[in-house]
Amino acid sequence: MIRRFSDWLDARTDYRRFLAHLRGRTLPTGPSWWFTSASCLFWLLVVQVFTGLLLMTTYSPSTTSAWASVHYIEQSPAGAFVRGVHYFAAHAFIILFAVHLVRVLVTGAFRAPRELIWLTGLLLMPLLLAWAVTGNPLCASQKGMAQIEVEGNIAGSTPVVGPALRHLLVGGDEVGHLTLTRLYFLHVALIPLLALGLLALHLSQVYRHGLTPAGGNAGRSTPYWPYQTARNAAVVAAVLGGIALLAWRYGAPLDAPADPDLAQTPRPEWYFRCLFELRRYFTGDWEFVATSLLPAAVLTFFVSLPWLDRRLAPRAGLALRALIVAGAGAGFAWLTWSSFHRDWNDDQYQLAQAEAADLADRARALADEQQVPPQGAAWLLRQDPKTRGPWLFARHCAGCHSHADAQGQGILAAEPSAPNLSGFGTAEWIEGLLDPESIAGPRYFGHTKFAEGDMASHVRQLFADAADAEALRGKLRLAAQALAAEAERPGLGAAGAQDETAIAEGRALITGELGCTDCHKFHDNGELGSAPDLTGYGSYAWLTEMIGNPQGERFYPGDHNDRMPAFAKDPHQPQRNLLSPQEIDLVVRWLRGEWYEPFPPFPAPTDARGASVPRQVAGR
Amino acid sequence: MNRRDLLKWVSGLLGTASALLMGVPGIAYVLADVFRRRPSQATVQRVARLSDLKPGRPVQVGVVGSRRDAWTVYPDEVIGHVWLVRRDTDPASDAAADKQPTVAAFTSVCPHLGCTIGLDATGRRFVCPCHRAEFALDGQRVGNGNHAPRAMDGLECRLVRDDDADDWWVEIAYEKFERGLTRKVRRA
Repeated sequence: MIRRFSDWLDARTDYRRFLAHLRGRTLPTGPSWWFTSASCLFWLLVVQVFTGLLLMTTYSPSTTSAWASVHYIEQSPAGAFVRGVHYFAAHAFIILFAVHLVRVLVTGAFRAPRELIWLTGLLLMPLLLAWAVTGNPLCASQKGMAQIEVEGNIAGSTPVVGPALRHLLVGGDEVGHLTLTRLYFLHVALIPLLALGLLALHLSQVYRHGLTPAGGNAGRSTPYWPYQTARNAAVVAAVLGGIALLAWRYGAPLDAPADPDLAQTPRPEWYFRCLFELRRYFTGDWEFVATSLLPAAVLTFFVSLPWLDRRLAPRAGLALRALIVAGAGAGFAWLTWSSFHRDWNDDQYQLAQAEAADLADRARALADEQQVPPQGAAWLLRQDPKTRGPWLFARHCAGCHSHADAQGQGILAAEPSAPNLSGFGTAEWIEGLLDPESIAGPRYFGHTKFAEGDMASHVRQLFADAADAEALRGKLRLAAQALAAEAERPGLGAAGAQDETAIAEGRALITGELGCTDCHKFHDNGELGSAPDLTGYGSYAWLTEMIGNPQGERFYPGDHNDRMPAFAKDPHQPQRNLLSPQEIDLVVRWLRGEWYEPFPPFPAPTDARGASVPRQVAGR
Repeated sequence: MNRRDLLKWVSGLLGTASALLMGVPGIAYVLADVFRRRPSQATVQRVARLSDLKPGRPVQVGVVGSRRDAWTVYPDEVIGHVWLVRRDTDPASDAAADKQPTVAAFTSVCPHLGCTIGLDATGRRFVCPCHRAEFALDGQRVGNGNHAPRAMDGLECRLVRDDDADDWWVEIAYEKFERGLTRKVRRA
């Protein structure tokens, strides 16, 4: 049956003769490990097409969906592996391309009549780099989008055609939806078509002119199959094994989703680091020398090599080619190393890299937990108190307030002139405030007018009047616990029934013996007007109101306020408010430690009444 | 003209016409985006209170506006960042006019390749993290071998009085400019 079908097929296609011809091919100079680079490139291309087609079944190009779809791919182990293979094979492809180029140069395989093989191969080089460049930003990560932004601007600074070229690539004035659609079009349609066309010409010419140039010790002629094939298979298997190992072990990186609101420090991939470094030496009007003239000159030189070589004596030709390989290799290595070396010694760059890595981890954790909203993955980070809280605090609050722990880690105020808000609303923080040693210190009322105010003097007076300072401290600790319970901070509420009684005692002390309600209001005791309301002290509502308008009735009315500005005084005129309700919400939740953590930092959070607090409070 | 030549000529003509019929709309379609120009207007906005700015200490603020990305419009987004530098001219002088504070506003988009300009470690100089272009606090380029083709792009900026709150606000007109040019050209 099979025999009859193959006979039928052969009668129509003559395929047996073709196969016999392939089997009968010989290598005039015998098999060699050197010759494996070509077949390795071919099979890597097959792997790239295969994994690329698989990724295409899931990927969705648009600024709102690209990162999310890539993260979706990463969520399944097989997806992460396939993407990892695609990523590492792309890098391997570029390395092997260079190896293949060196091999062809050294063996002089570009000589007549093989010029077209050489030329099509050379044209594949810029195409290959464009293939990689259009692939890297497709995940719409912070790094990828910043790269394409800069690359688009480099294209845009080409004389005459630059602006139109940039416009075509970016698909408008700014990097956005159309940029991704166009990169995708280039990456999966136009460049592959061009590459396949060139490759077809390349291979048909190889087929026509023989696998390797004749000459040399022609006596060692050996059949290709299976002597060379086995060597090829060994190298391909080794390279694929390495790629698979990297893909399995590390996977392809996925940076945080791009957000135009966040600053970026883009760097090109390693294979462009030499051009990036070269550019340092050409500034101003000379910049095009590094970005276009030199690469074009190198390509032109390589293109003319078959004709140049013909005019040289064989030994001079060999010397020239050896010089090219050594010079280009050394130049590439030196420039690349200089560029990386500079970044390793750049503290600001290293810091930015570390922050970008943290942001990427955070984005993936949030996307794992909450999935991606319709506004896109960047939205996850914008709505995340842990990410935006410190960012907003640093911009709007850190002029006066610090937010740093005892070791000084955190956000430090430019000119500290207000309390350190790290741990605000916790029992520890309140206890420190009620300590005569520290109330007028830098962590609390130092640098404010309250350092000499009624609160500080009242605390000092309490200690001056107390017969037993330790007993007073115990009472103040109870009061601090009662106040901390008002905040209802997630995960920080005191645990256990024992504290239930402590809180009740603390409440009694606040309204009674400690005399807090002489100035402060606390639930049904005391009056508003001279000192902040202790009801709900440090709670979400309390903080939101306080930040909105510290001169409000519940806080520091009139000249009781020191210097704190009102960040959202009038809800009816949002244009005049320094912070929007959403921004205040993010700062408040960050101050209160209300955010989603993949692994809870505290053992089983419980609230003041000892009941388990659902962890989702933070992940809202 | 014989019959054979006529047929050659007709074939050529029809072939060219067919190619043009598909080719011209194709090229027009691809180029449509290049020539599609939307009237762009500066986003005028109050971005900071004067009292929050300290002389000689640059502050970066976001500009919120509507951003259009091809077929999507984001009504309320940070569309750019602006560096504000307050200068109190001649603090030694007693003349009231000299006490008048001025604020300069610069877009944080680097005129070289569009990276976001930041502050260096001392806070006294702007620096672009991509190719290390440095600028003084007045936006002028600093040092030899600077990659920036021009100074930082200044934005129109004025101080407006808010009588209700008894405060001055900094109002800027946010615009975007072409990168990589020695002249400052507004992006259409």
